[in-house]
Amino acid sequence: MTQKPSRTQALYAWLDERLGLTTINKLVLDRKVPKVNWWYTLGSATLFLFILQVVTGIFLTVYYVPTPDHAYDSVNYIMQGVRFGWLVRGIHHWGASFMVLFVFLHMLRVFYMGAYKYPRELTWMIGVLLFVLTLGMGFTGYLLPWNQRAYWATTVGTQIAGTPPIIGPWITRILRGGEEISALTLSRFFALHIWMIPGLMALLIAVHLYLVIRIGISNPPSKDE
Amino acid sequence: MNEEFKKKYWERYLRLKHHGVKFYPDVVYKDLVVSFALFLLLVGLATFVGVKPEPPVDPNDTSYIPRPEWYFLFLFEFLKFIPGELEWVGAVVIPGLAILILFFLPFLDKNPYRHWSKRKMGTGIMTAIVIAMVGLTIRAVATTPKQEEGPVALTLTEQIALGQELYSIHCAECHGPDGEGGEIQGVEGLEGVVLKPINSQDEMYTRSDQTLYNIIEYGQQDLGMPPFGRAYGGELGPAEIKAIVTFMRYTWDDRVELPQEAQVGGMPQLGPDEVPSYDEHVEPLVKRYCISCHRPGKKNNNYLMTSYDEVLHSGDHAPVIIPGDPDNSIFVQLIRRQELDFSRPMPPTKALPDDVVDIFVRWIAAGAPKTAEEADQIQAQQGGAAPATPQP
Repeated sequence: MTQKPSRTQALYAWLDERLGLTTINKLVLDRKVPKVNWWYTLGSATLFLFILQVVTGIFLTVYYVPTPDHAYDSVNYIMQGVRFGWLVRGIHHWGASFMVLFVFLHMLRVFYMGAYKYPRELTWMIGVLLFVLTLGMGFTGYLLPWNQRAYWATTVGTQIAGTPPIIGPWITRILRGGEEISALTLSRFFALHIWMIPGLMALLIAVHLYLVIRIGISNPPSKDE
Repeated sequence: MNEEFKKKYWERYLRLKHHGVKFYPDVVYKDLVVSFALFLLLVGLATFVGVKPEPPVDPNDTSYIPRPEWYFLFLFEFLKFIPGELEWVGAVVIPGLAILILFFLPFLDKNPYRHWSKRKMGTGIMTAIVIAMVGLTIRAVATTPKQEEGPVALTLTEQIALGQELYSIHCAECHGPDGEGGEIQGVEGLEGVVLKPINSQDEMYTRSDQTLYNIIEYGQQDLGMPPFGRAYGGELGPAEIKAIVTFMRYTWDDRVELPQEAQVGGMPQLGPDEVPSYDEHVEPLVKRYCISCHRPGKKNNNYLMTSYDEVLHSGDHAPVIIPGDPDNSIFVQLIRRQELDFSRPMPPTKALPDDVVDIFVRWIAAGAPKTAEEADQIQAQQGGAAPATPQP
C-alpha cells in the first residue's frame, strides 16, 4: 500500500526530476571524505569571507559614488546616514583584512600538508591566482574611500609598481590612467574592484571547488606517505 | 611521475576515504562553526572598533605619511633594505618571482613525500619566509612615525563647529566675527580697506558652495584677499575649507534650515548671578571674537589668547587681566573702548555686544576662574545670595 506523497515531497520530486537534486546531493554533500582536522576549515572560511565581501560590497554600491567629488561624502553618508550602513561597511572593511589573512593561511595549510602534489596541482595553481587576485582586491579597494590614507597609499603603490626601467613609467600610467592619481584612477580601480577582479575570482573559485569535489579532499599526510 | 606511483596514491586515498567521514554533516559542521565564529568576530569588530575616520584627499598636504594596507607592509619594509637604484628588483622582480615559484610549485617540487618531516628543505624555506614577513611587518609598524591628524568632522554638527572655529581664526580678522565686514583695522597691508558684508542675502543667494570654496581656496587676490588653500600657499586643506563653507551656509543663508539632529552650540548662556568660568563661557567668546588676531604671527603686542594661561599672563603690557579688579584691567578698559597710549580699543573694528562685555567683566571680577567647579565654589563663597536655580 503506497502512501500518497505529501505536497513538499511532490514538489521535491518535481524539482528533482528537472534539476537532478538527488544526484547533486550524492556528489556534493553525501560523499565520503578522509578524516580531516580543523585546519581544513580555512578554505571554506575563505569562501565564506568572499561571499560576505560580495554581499556587503553590493550593498555599498547602492550609495557609493566613484567620483572624486562624491566618493568621500558618499562613504561618510553610508557611515552616518544610512541605517546599518556602518555595520555593512565595517564588515566589508574588516572582512577585507581577514580575507587576505585567510587566503594566506589556507595556502600555508595546503603547503605544509603537501596537498599541492599529484593529483591537485591544478587546484593549487588556481589557488595561487586567487591569492594574487585577492591582493588586487585589497589594493584597488583601498583607494575607493578617497581619503588621505587611500590617496597616499595608492600614490606610493603605483609609484613602486613603476620603478622598473623602461616599462615602469608605462605601468604607472596604466594603473593611474594618466600621470597623476585622478578621477580616472578612481573609476579604473572601481571597475576593477567591483566587476573585473571579483568576476574573475568567482569563475576561478567555481573551478577550484569543482576540482576539490572531483578529486576529493586531501588526507592529512602520514610519515610513510 | 610513473603510473605505479599514481596507482598507489589512489589505492591509499580510496582506503582512507572509505574509513573516513561523510562530508555532510561531519565536515560541513566544522566549516559552519568556523564561518559563524568569523562572522561574529567581524560584526564585533564593526560594532566595537569600527572604521577609523580619515580626512578627505588633499594632494597638497605633503606632511602626510603614506602607508600601504597592513598586508603590504612587509614588502614596504623590505624595500628599505634595497638601495635606491635597485628598488625595482625588490619591488617587482622578487615578488614576481616568488609568485611564479608558488604558481609552478607542484612541478618544481619533485619530492614525492607529503609529510613535512620528509620535506624539511621546502617547509624550512617557507617557515623562514613567513617568519621574515611577520618580522618585517612588526618592524614596519614599530618604526612608522605617528601621523599628526587634526580632528575629522563627520557629522553636520561637527562640521559647523569646526567651520565656526576656523572662520574665527582665519576670516574674522577682516570680515568680522559675524561676516558683517566694515573697515579693516590692525591687519598689515589691508589697513583701512572697507569690506562689504558677506553674510547678506545678496551674497548667500548668489554664491554656490563651490564658489565660496573657490574664493576661500584661491582668494580674490586683485581685491586683496589672500589665498587660504594649501594648493595656493595658504594653510587650509579641502576638509577645512569645506567646513567653513558649511558654517557660512548654515549660519547666514536664511533659506537653509538646520536639520533637527544637528545641535549647534550657540553662545554660552549665563544666569543673572552665575559666576562665569573660562572653560564654559569665556573660551567660546575668545575663540569667536579675539583669536583671529591674538594668536602667534599676528600684530598683537604679544598678547596671545590660545589658552587660559596666555589669556591671563601673556603680552608686552602684562598683566592684561587683574583677577578681581576689572576696572584696572587693561583688558576691560580696551573692550569698554578706552583709547590707551599703546593700544586702540578692542576689537578694533566694532565694539563687542554689551552682554559679551558683561560676561568678561563678571568673570574677571570673580577672580577669573578656569573650570566650572572653581566658578561654582566662588559662587558658593559669595554666599549664594541669589542662586541661579531656586532652592527647594
